[in-house]
Amino acid sequence: MFWFFKRKKENQSKVNDTKGRGILIFENTSEVIRAEKLLKQHGYEIKVVGPPPEIRKGCDLAIEFPLIYEMKIHNILREHRIPPLGSQPISNTGLKPVDLFQTKDFGKYLMVKAANMKLTIDKETLLIVNVSGGGCPDVPYISKELIGKRLQDAPEPRDLGHTLCGYALQLAYEKAKSIFDGKEGYQKSSWN
Amino acid sequence: MANTVDARGLSCPQPVMMTLDAIKKYGTGEIEVMVDTDTSKENVIRLAQSQGWDVVSVDPDGIGYKIKIRK
Repeated sequence: MFWFFKRKKENQSKVNDTKGRGILIFENTSEVIRAEKLLKQHGYEIKVVGPPPEIRKGCDLAIEFPLIYEMKIHNILREHRIPPLGSQPISNTGLKPVDLFQTKDFGKYLMVKAANMKLTIDKETLLIVNVSGGGCPDVPYISKELIGKRLQDAPEPRDLGHTLCGYALQLAYEKAKSIFDGKEGYQKSSWN
Repeated sequence: MANTVDARGLSCPQPVMMTLDAIKKYGTGEIEVMVDTDTSKENVIRLAQSQGWDVVSVDPDGIGYKIKIRK
């Protein structure tokens, strides 16, 4: 039995809607990770994205945020000593953040890529069959701990590794869970 | 005689998916997987072991490897 997924058009447009959104650029990845955690704790609707090439300064990750809260967000980040290198509105400049996620459907398997890491899931059993990408020292260990486990039973990558690869894999893991939970606009259109 | 998976020229995760397909198809016995990168070799070995298969041998084969797994 295989799962087949179909993306809903309305969800696609929602994902791509950047009106009233801005981009925060940071010096390095660990600042992005800290800022993401902090701003989510404060209840802001933010997401980690790839910075548009035109404004990339230091790091390959950036944070998309609601412009209406720009001052408050800057204040919070300054208070916690993670001031961004800069921020830019998206809608006025035509700059487009790069989506960190890509999915590729191989029929029986679904690959979810986040930044530099790929996670492949058996759609029938939800078994994690492959982890690849990265080049960080903790990837072999994380892979060993994840491969062969069902997605819902697997430990979270962030609990296993602390590099950019571990972080990217956590994003892929969360995205995969969200997809298989039916929260990403994919539908099981048929069962064989 | 071992069943063969030729995953040379393919990038991850395809060699792993092909190996898992063979594991599901044959259930037990011996499977020889041909890959041509170190990454594919490591990933195929990890998958096989996670499925309870023994890695019998890993031999250089041209620019790649022949991985023999058994259950």
